[in-house]
Amino acid sequence: MIASEDSTRKPLPAPDADTTTFWRGLRQGKLLLQHCRRCRNVQYYQQATCRECGGDELEHRPATGRGKVHSFSVVHRAPGPAFKADVPYAVLLVELAEGPRMISTLTGSDPEDVTFDMEVELAFDQVSDDITLPRFRKA
Amino acid sequence: MSDTSLRGKVAVIGIGLSAVGKVPGRSPLSLAAEAARNALADAGVAKGEVDGVLSSHAFASPFHRFSVAFSEYFGIRPTFSNTLQVSGATAATMFSIGAAAIHGGLAKVVLLVAADSLMTGLTPDLALRSLTESRDQQYEMPFGIPVANTFAMTAHRHMREFGTTPEQLAEVAVVHRRHAARTPGAQQTAPITTADVLDSPMVTTPYHKLDCSLISDGGAAFVLTSAEHAKALGIGKPIYILGCGECYTHEHIFLMPSLTTTGAVESSRRAYAMAGYQPSDMDVAGVYDCFTGTVVMMLEDLGFCRKGEGGPFVADGQMSYGGQIPSNTHGGLLSFAHSGMPGALFHFHEVIAQLRGQCDQRQVERAALGLVHSLGAGFATNATTILGTEGTL
Repeated sequence: MIASEDSTRKPLPAPDADTTTFWRGLRQGKLLLQHCRRCRNVQYYQQATCRECGGDELEHRPATGRGKVHSFSVVHRAPGPAFKADVPYAVLLVELAEGPRMISTLTGSDPEDVTFDMEVELAFDQVSDDITLPRFRKA
Repeated sequence: MSDTSLRGKVAVIGIGLSAVGKVPGRSPLSLAAEAARNALADAGVAKGEVDGVLSSHAFASPFHRFSVAFSEYFGIRPTFSNTLQVSGATAATMFSIGAAAIHGGLAKVVLLVAADSLMTGLTPDLALRSLTESRDQQYEMPFGIPVANTFAMTAHRHMREFGTTPEQLAEVAVVHRRHAARTPGAQQTAPITTADVLDSPMVTTPYHKLDCSLISDGGAAFVLTSAEHAKALGIGKPIYILGCGECYTHEHIFLMPSLTTTGAVESSRRAYAMAGYQPSDMDVAGVYDCFTGTVVMMLEDLGFCRKGEGGPFVADGQMSYGGQIPSNTHGGLLSFAHSGMPGALFHFHEVIAQLRGQCDQRQVERAALGLVHSLGAGFATNATTILGTEGTL
């Protein structure tokens, strides 16, 4: 359950034991994926064990940051007051070059120009001292 | 069928609705109690006979243990109860878990009841909770993703892969509105055209406002008991639970195995297998319709048409009267009402009423077998129920 302290502020992630390394990586300009040494599964999001084989031999490796748009939806009606000023914005389901998919938003170009399979690359968006969000721009 | 199969073991003996639509000033508990009274009266069963209660969560209610709060409010002390939560799929799981509890001896008469007042009953705090609840705070929420967005991305990909058009999606809304016009108490009954849908404001591409379901108040309740007890009670037309199936494929949209083929394939496969029937045997269906594209994808995944052909199937009139599978004859979430978790219970209410032959001008002739599919959370949760008359056992 999310605390509803202030609906006008954008929610920020609160790093925990599973995700501290991930968010530290983003602060340092790296999108870390977990590579399983045992079964070679590559996973996003981060946790202590491999979701495929259950092993704990996971290695954090920076992604190339390149991917393509698997699907997208341009938001015209904001989900709450915090995002009202941002509409329209494009939510992207990006398929990373390494395989995993992730959700993010487009930055740096017109959301109406997004197309399927469009090549995108990571853009680091520092939103607080601790948090840098992984966003994407047209490659 | 094995001894443990639920097929035909449990019957629905009572159905009831509360006031539905815009119902200001009524708490979810009050709406739930009204629906429960109506369902028990329909069954001819006294509330003291109820020994099991299953509910779903209500956003406009502070009670996390809704089934417990309901029982106190309703003045009963059940010996089997739970408040279930698999999002929109909860409705069908209430039927399977209720049936399993009866067949397994945990309860004799189970009341399924859910209600919410999403339209008029949400305080600002509870409204925000309903918007943000259960979205991932690390990987989703920081990006501002509306509930509609995950469903929108699946429909968008479906358009890309199969050439489904905005006009075909709009036709889903048009059919639902036409159905609702014949349903007493439906929230939206004014006729609409595909142009109306396409001209309505964009919410999140490809969904316009009229591609999205309603926000409503209301509840529904059902009384279940064993086939034997239904006979002993002299129930006129029990409707039997013939098959159930569930499937959970992911939580995050980015881990959905395929954006265009969902867990409904497996949940319905299991339900058909238990029932011993095929999609083509179904006379009537209730198909979860939180968005227009959801219906197109479900008609495919439930086996009513081939993958990718859902758009043309709808445009060809196949989900309405005279078509292959008359679906959501009450108007669905798109035009009858959508009060959150109880939403799919309205589909159950309609399909059961169809199987009983009680739908008057909406009646599908000789309806004997029906399917209800409920789903939620961007297709993360899927649950299917197949119901039938005595003649289908």
